[in-house]
Amino acid sequence: MIRIGEIQESIRIAFEGLQANKLRSFLTTLGVVIGITFVILMGWFLNGLDTALESTVNLLGTDVMYIDKWSWSGGQNWRKTMQRKNITYQQAMEFCNSMKTAEVSLPEAHKWGTTVKERGRTITGISVIGVPYSYSQLPAGTILYGRFFSQFEDEYSTNVTVLGYGVAKALFPEGDAIGRTIKIGGRTFEIIGVIIKRGTMMMDFVDNQVIIPISTFFGIYGMTGRSISVAVKAGSAEKLDEVRAESTGLMRSIRNVPPGEEEDFSINETETFKEQVETLRLATWGIGIGLTLLSFIVGIIGIMNIMFVSVTERTKEIGIRKSLGAKSSSILTQFLVESASLCLVGALIAFTFCSVVIAVAVHLVPEADFLTPYVPPQLILIAAIVSIIVGILAGIVPAMRASALDPVEALRYES
Amino acid sequence: MSTPLIHIEHIARTYEMGGETVHALRDVSLDIHPNEYVALMGPSGSGKSTLMNILGCLDTPSSGVYTFKGLDVNEMTDDDLAEIRNKEIGFVFQTFNLLPRATALKNIELPLIYSGVSSEERKERAIKALEDVGLGDRMLHRPNELSGGQRQRVAAARALVTKPSIILADEPTGNLDTKTGIEIMKLFQDLWSKGNTVILVTHEEDIARHARRIIRIRDGKVESDTINPNPVTKFELP
Ligand SMILES: Nc1ncnc2c1ncn2[C@@H]1O[C@H](COP(=O)(O)OP(=O)(O)OP(=O)(O)O)[C@@H](O)[C@H]1O
Ligand SMILES: [Mg+2]
Repeated sequence: MIRIGEIQESIRIAFEGLQANKLRSFLTTLGVVIGITFVILMGWFLNGLDTALESTVNLLGTDVMYIDKWSWSGGQNWRKTMQRKNITYQQAMEFCNSMKTAEVSLPEAHKWGTTVKERGRTITGISVIGVPYSYSQLPAGTILYGRFFSQFEDEYSTNVTVLGYGVAKALFPEGDAIGRTIKIGGRTFEIIGVIIKRGTMMMDFVDNQVIIPISTFFGIYGMTGRSISVAVKAGSAEKLDEVRAESTGLMRSIRNVPPGEEEDFSINETETFKEQVETLRLATWGIGIGLTLLSFIVGIIGIMNIMFVSVTERTKEIGIRKSLGAKSSSILTQFLVESASLCLVGALIAFTFCSVVIAVAVHLVPEADFLTPYVPPQLILIAAIVSIIVGILAGIVPAMRASALDPVEALRYES
Repeated sequence: MSTPLIHIEHIARTYEMGGETVHALRDVSLDIHPNEYVALMGPSGSGKSTLMNILGCLDTPSSGVYTFKGLDVNEMTDDDLAEIRNKEIGFVFQTFNLLPRATALKNIELPLIYSGVSSEERKERAIKALEDVGLGDRMLHRPNELSGGQRQRVAAARALVTKPSIILADEPTGNLDTKTGIEIMKLFQDLWSKGNTVILVTHEEDIARHARRIIRIRDGKVESDTINPNPVTKFELP
C-alpha cells in the first residue's frame, strides 16, 4: 500500500528536482508541451465547431427543411443540378396549399448580393428575402425587437422591412432602427423589426439580409427567372420522416417527376450541416492526431531519457531510502510521480501558451467568433489527465529500474 | 538468558565475479541479545560490512540461517525486509548517507514517512530526535552546511527516530577526527545505557574499547568473540 505521506514526499522531491534543473526540465518537456498544445487546440476547435453546429441547428430548427433547386451540401453532380428547372412560385404555392402533415410551409424568394442604402450610406452583399407573414412562425423569423409584418401588410405589398441582425448592427449600432427608412431596390422601406442574431461561422450570411413581404418582392424583382425555396416546418422532430415523405411525394407529383427517376429538387435539412461538420471534424482529427502522437512519442522518449539520467544520478539516494525502509513500490511511485509531474508542468506551459494564442486568434479573426476566446474548462482536465498518462508511460521503465536496484549496490554507488 | 535478538548459524555470502567466486563470508554463527554493545573488528576486506548488511536485512546470505526476533529472514519477501529495516534497524554509515538536498529535519523524517506516520507527528519526533543529539539549533541546515560530526549526529538521530531494536553502525567514526569521533562514541554509550542494542564496525582498537563484546573477523570467519574486561566509560577530550 502506498501512503499519502509518500506521495506528498514524492511530489516534493519531484518539484525540487525540477527547480534544480529548470532548463533541462523545460527542454525535456518540450515534446509534451507541443503534444498537449495540439490536444488543447484541437479540442478547442472541435468544441467551437460543435457550438457552431448546435447554434446553426437551433437557428434553423431541427424540424425545419428547405426544398430547393440546390443542395446545400453540394457534393452532388454539379451539372445535373444546373440542369434542374427552377421551382416556380406557382409550384411552391401548390405545394404549400396541398401540404397536410407539416405545421407551416411557405415560399421564400431570394435576391442575393444587392445593396441597401440608408441616408447616403450603402452596404453591399445583402440578400433580400421575400416571404409571407407566416415566416414569423419559423425560428429564422424570431424577432429581436420591433415586430414582423402582418397579413395585411403582406397582402397589400406594403414597403415594410424586417432587418437581419448584421444589417441592423451595421446601420443602427445604437439599436434605434425601428421607424427609420432604408432603400432596397431603389424603393424606400420602413423598418418595423429586427431579427435575432443567428449567424455563426458556417451561416454568417444569414444575418446580412433584409426581409420584405413576398408580394412586395415580386413587385420589385419580378416573379419569374428565379427558383423559389419552400420552407417546411414539421412541428416536431418526430414528424420529420412523415413530413419528408409527404414533401418528396408532393413535389415529385407537382414537378412531374416520373416514377423511378431521380428527383429534380433537394430537401435540405440540418442533417446536411451535421455531415459538413463531421467532415471538418474528421479532417481536424486526421491532421491533429498524427501530429499529437508524433510529439508525444518525441516527448516520451525525451522524458524517459531524462528519467534514466535521474535514476542514475540518484542511485545513492535510492540506496539510502531503501536502507531506511522504502519498499520497491515506494521508489516506483516516487519516480512515476516525478515523471508525471514533469509532464504536468509541460501541460501547464502548454495551457498558458494556448490561452494566449486562443485569446489573440479570436481577437484578430472576427470570423472565428464561434470559437471560445478561452480554453474550455473540460479541456484543462483532459490535458492534465493526458499529460499524467504520458508521464507514467515515459516513467514506467526508469521507475522500475530504480525500484529494482539492490540496496547494497545502490548504497555503494559513488557519483 | 533472554532469547537472542539476532541468531545466525553457518552464514555464508559469496559473490560471482567474472566466473570467480568471492567468499566474503565463509561460516559465521552468532547470537546477539538485547542491550548488547558489540564491536565487529577485522582487517580490510575481512567481511565486516558484508556481515553488517546481512544483519541489517539490506542483504541476504547465500546460505545459512538468520532469525531476527525469532523470525526466519530467509522466508521474508523484499517488502518484509524493508519493513524490518524501517521499524527494527537504525543504520549509521561511515559516509553519513544523508540526502544532500534535504534539511536535517527532513532527513530525519524520512524513515517515518515510510512507516506512515502523520506529518505533524513526524515533525514533532524529528525535532525531538535532533534535540536529543544536541542539534536543536540546526534543524533547517542542509548536510553541506554542517560539520562532519554534526552530520553523523543527524544520521544517528535519523537511525534513532523510529525507536529501532538495534543500531548498526559501519565505521561511524571513520570519516571523523578523533575529537568528533569521541562525541559520536559518547552518543552510542548513552544509547546503550538507555537499553539500546548497538553493533559497531571498526578497525580502530581505541573505538572498539568502548564496546562490551568484541568479535574479530578474518577471511570471512569469526576469529575470536570475547567480552571486553574493562570497557572505556569516561570520555576525555584530548
Ligand atoms: N558487490 C561485491 N561484489 C564482489 N565482491 C564483493 C562485493 N562486496 C564485497 N565484496 C568482497 O567481499 C569481501 C568483504 O568485503 P567487505 O566490504 O565486507 O569488507 P570489510 O571488512 O567491510 O572491509 P573494509 O574494512 O575495507 O570496509 C571483500 O573481499 C570484497 O572485495
Ligand atoms: Mg566495510
